[in-house]
Amino acid sequence: MSTIVTPPPTAVPPQPPAAPLRERLTGQILLDVKDLKKYFVIHRGFLRRTTGYVRAVDDVSFQIQEGETLALVGETGCGKTTTSRCILRAIDPTSGQILFRTESGKTVDVATISKRELRPLRRQMQMIFQDPYSSLNPRMTVLDIIGEPLLVNGVKSRRERIDRVEELMRLVRLRPEYMRRFPHAFSGGQRQRIGIARALALHPKLVVADEPVSALDVSVQAQTLNLLLELQNTLGLTYLFVAHNLGVVKHISDRVAVMYVGQIAELAEREALFRSPKHPYTAALLASVPKPDPRLRGQRKPLPGEVANPAAPPTGCYFHPRCAFAVERCKVERPAWEQISPGHWVRCHRARELTLPGIETSSTVAPAAN
Amino acid sequence: MPLLSVRDLRTYFVADEGTTRAVDGATFDLYAGKTLGIVGETGCGKSVTARSILRIVERPGRIVSGEILLQRDGGYIDLAKLDPDGREIRRVRGGEIGLVFQEPMTSFSPVHTVGDQVIEAIQLHRRLDKARARARAIELFRMVGISRPEGRLDEYSWQLSGGLRQRAMIAMALAAEPRLLIADEPTTALDVTTQAQILELLRDLQRKTHMAIMLITHDLGVIAEMADDVVVMYLGRVVEHGPVDQIFHAPKHPYTQALLRSIPGIQHEARVKLPTISGSIPHPFARPAGCPFHPRCALVMACAAAPDGVCCDHHEPELITVEEGHSVSCHLYRKKGAAVPLALESAR
Repeated sequence: MSTIVTPPPTAVPPQPPAAPLRERLTGQILLDVKDLKKYFVIHRGFLRRTTGYVRAVDDVSFQIQEGETLALVGETGCGKTTTSRCILRAIDPTSGQILFRTESGKTVDVATISKRELRPLRRQMQMIFQDPYSSLNPRMTVLDIIGEPLLVNGVKSRRERIDRVEELMRLVRLRPEYMRRFPHAFSGGQRQRIGIARALALHPKLVVADEPVSALDVSVQAQTLNLLLELQNTLGLTYLFVAHNLGVVKHISDRVAVMYVGQIAELAEREALFRSPKHPYTAALLASVPKPDPRLRGQRKPLPGEVANPAAPPTGCYFHPRCAFAVERCKVERPAWEQISPGHWVRCHRARELTLPGIETSSTVAPAAN
Repeated sequence: MPLLSVRDLRTYFVADEGTTRAVDGATFDLYAGKTLGIVGETGCGKSVTARSILRIVERPGRIVSGEILLQRDGGYIDLAKLDPDGREIRRVRGGEIGLVFQEPMTSFSPVHTVGDQVIEAIQLHRRLDKARARARAIELFRMVGISRPEGRLDEYSWQLSGGLRQRAMIAMALAAEPRLLIADEPTTALDVTTQAQILELLRDLQRKTHMAIMLITHDLGVIAEMADDVVVMYLGRVVEHGPVDQIFHAPKHPYTQALLRSIPGIQHEARVKLPTISGSIPHPFARPAGCPFHPRCALVMACAAAPDGVCCDHHEPELITVEEGHSVSCHLYRKKGAAVPLALESAR
């Protein structure tokens, strides 16, 4: 057989060796969300009378340490995006506290501070969007897109902006010589990197990534995940990672919060949550994921029924109509948000007695050529 | 004897800016009671393949060559030769071959009830009066697991949840008891728990009706769960074709191998660097010469290095059978009997 030649240069410059893994977690709490609620009012009829509420976020509490990745997972309508939008104060929460530790070491409540006070804070929290096609203005060049947050925040000199954009583009492995091109000239993965560069322009502390890889193809998804992990290690970023793909979540997160109908059903360290889930919903979710191995086929039983309506949630535990382990108590009494072991929080009456199947972490599939 | 046999199908889109070879020589067979998974990334031609079979390729796309042979009464008819607006293809489309689309939201009309739409589909292929057709629609809804089918028939698609809508879509596709169901990303827009229900439903229906399923998806997990045989496509070409276990446990094509390695699995180690495929999928007008995957391939062979002057950047590889039922289009396997080239081993 012939010798192998090196692949020709592609659009992406070769990656420098990965930065040494620095101590990511400082133990410092960056974000502390307490009893967050967001109810949307339902109006009906001619007089627009209030007829009910959609409990989009219903009593959510969690903390994020500096340098860590917390993933919010759940199905459509579970409130994960609404939670992240409240944290960025893109929408005003109904009640609750969102305590954010600023660069200067002060703690402010993002939920209640005035818009004027919020403005300087916005620099420190940035967002990466899902759709790299609609989140970039097609009439702006990459230079203008990435440079806009700089301009808005007082970098008036064009030269300075160009230099910073160049630096940012290198950081996300885009060629700086392309900065005068328009988004349509880039592929989906490259566009997503433009969005990441824009989010990083102002040296944020917290980056909220809402489904950042779900619009990408598998091969490009892996590149983007690698980039996000690397940026976290080199820049000390903190991620709130909103996603529905458990494989992606498992790959990138330190801790995971599983949401169901506006509430967090379970929150734990990644390994604990995937290996020994305590909430039946988490276990059902894990079992539903199709595993890329035909030998594991047929090991799952689909969860019956549908997600509850957040405007008229069931009595007791919101999950009880679909839960295989529900008892009488679950139908009447709302379970409390409890810590059952250090760092492992669950909202389930039976969390302590149940042993639920998780996912074996050992790699059973090793796609290879032998 | 295959139910449907696609032979060297080519569907091109000819525009002023250039020609897009959306499907460029696809060959595969579908059998009754079996599921063929077609997997690939954006622009690999998997959907156009399905649309070609049903002859619903939009202009300026057209089938330029190849055969699509559908078994009928012991013989075969070539769907590629039929008039796309003719009576004959309309008997096949929705009749012998049912179709389920990705977006259940847009595939129903919002101004008619789902019942009316399903009844219309039934009456197109069966001579039934309105009342009988309605009874049949109720029966179909029950079969796909929709509770209170009588009431649901009179609802509009936007009143149904995503899962219910997809069930209604499947019911409509099954209206004429098709022998083949083409499901194009049937669960992509759904949540995982709903996805599991729909996949289970498809399996269940296949057991009952013995229909063939052509399942198109980009999700290798869904393929592993459902398919008997797998076709991997890249830029309009079939790069690998084989039994599902072989594809996942002994993939041959460098693209298949790389694709499998790059899935962030729930069974893999977390927070380590994922192996990636360099670059991105080329623009259809800038299609690479030779093997379409060669600019991204880690095992690419240049002319000087190739044993007999056949190299990846000049010569397009043919599908070669490496084992019974397992074929791959890659120059690495050109030498007969060379199951795993040495180079492949050392490169890993």
